[in-house]
Amino acid sequence: MTTFAQAAERHLDDVYRYLAWFTGDRAVAEDLTGETFERALRLWPRFDPERGSARTWLCQVARTAALDHFRSERRRTRREELAAVPERFEEAFAEGLSADLEAALLRLSAGEREVVALRVVLDLDAPTTARMLGISSTNCTTRLNRALKKLEEALHVAA
Amino acid sequence: MSQRDVVAELRSAQLQVPAALRERVRLIVAAAPPERRGLGSWRPFDSRRWLAVLVPVAAAAAVAVVVTRPSHHTAAPQPLLPAQRALSTQAATGLDNSVGSTPTPSTGAAAAKLAPLTPSSTRAQRYSASLTLTVANATAVSNTTKQALAVVTALGGYVVSAHVQTGLPTIVTPIAVPEGLQPAITVPVTTVPGTIAPGTSSGAAADLVLKVPKTKVRTAIARLSALGTITAEQVDIQDLQAGLATTDRTMQQLQRQLATLRAEPQTAAVGRQIAAITAHIQRLQQAAAATIRAARYATVDLHVATPVKVAPVRHGHGPLHGLGVAFRWIGIGAVYALALGLPALVLIWLGWLGVRAVRRRREAALLSRL
Repeated sequence: MTTFAQAAERHLDDVYRYLAWFTGDRAVAEDLTGETFERALRLWPRFDPERGSARTWLCQVARTAALDHFRSERRRTRREELAAVPERFEEAFAEGLSADLEAALLRLSAGEREVVALRVVLDLDAPTTARMLGISSTNCTTRLNRALKKLEEALHVAA
Repeated sequence: MSQRDVVAELRSAQLQVPAALRERVRLIVAAAPPERRGLGSWRPFDSRRWLAVLVPVAAAAAVAVVVTRPSHHTAAPQPLLPAQRALSTQAATGLDNSVGSTPTPSTGAAAAKLAPLTPSSTRAQRYSASLTLTVANATAVSNTTKQALAVVTALGGYVVSAHVQTGLPTIVTPIAVPEGLQPAITVPVTTVPGTIAPGTSSGAAADLVLKVPKTKVRTAIARLSALGTITAEQVDIQDLQAGLATTDRTMQQLQRQLATLRAEPQTAAVGRQIAAITAHIQRLQQAAAATIRAARYATVDLHVATPVKVAPVRHGHGPLHGLGVAFRWIGIGAVYALALGLPALVLIWLGWLGVRAVRRRREAALLSRL
């Protein structure tokens, strides 16, 4: 039986990477990662290993935290009328990415970046990703292909 | 750059967790209370699931209580005991084949005082009466039957059929039919000497069909009523005079036709017509005579029986009575829960689907704008 400490130790990198790719902002990802594990600690008694792995479950908690962040951020930017100039995407998603790919990633929507993060970076399978996003496997695959095609086209133009 | 290259580059990218974040998570983990996983894979429902189950169940239980409360039941009419069953009098006079009814519930001595309808002495009527008497026991059934037969014979009547079942040694019931009259129904008396008829545990009974001169039917009914306690009485009177008058008119017409034909030259055709009309007149005369003959006698159906024994009510309950009652109420509750809880669950499920769809749509809209 996996304990919360073991799960946290084992999947911290995955949760952080997922949030970084999803939000496109490492600072925000750091905050959300901490918040994710605080939430996960409270919700851990409800975690059922028979329904999915600890990594998927933690990513799901992270997704909820990120969506809450996006909503509050949208409300804040509306209030402050700063919606046109978001402060994110100032830092790279990860080390080792080319500048063109970073730029292309910035042009993707958060939803597209999310599916790329889950399917490519975290290497989750389609059914797990689809269940996590609440969509069908076909829809998930379509969304991934569309995102990769956008990246490919953006890189082609840049070249 | 192909998609494969893009994927390869994305996968090769490294992202290290900052030390501060790692430390923060470590602190969170350290603050976690020790886990208790002694119950294996068993997990209690969370509050939302409990709510989803308990709300419909509570609603069903509440409705069941409201619906099954005794004060919500309309008082059902109490079934009448045989002794309380209708003492009815049906009568119709002056109308062909029509019967009016005037039920008059009554019991015992009160019924005995009810005077039967008087048959007309000037009109042909079919008079039939039905009488149900209750007597104390099987011996009384036997004695009453004998007395009834004596009454009828003394008044110049006869027995059409008799069936006596007492559980006692056989009663031989003679059937006396006056000369020139044939009983309409002939049912032999089914008794076997020295045997006890089956079903006697439910009480003795006798069924008699009696013919009594119409002029003495009131006397007969009065005497028969005195033989026991009346529990039901019914009198039917059907007027036959109008039918006889019609027959008479028809016969007169036929007689006139016959006289006319006889005045004509007698040919073979005329002879055949005369023969046919004569035969028709004879048939009508026979029918009228039979009707008049039948109208001279009244039919009395007499049923004599012992009181139906009411099963004794058990006041004491067995040791498992409470369990039976509990299971009964559990069953009733389950039926109500199924009938009411299931639609409620379906509605909740549909609502949940709707909410989830809206939430997904909003999420998609939010993520597409970021």
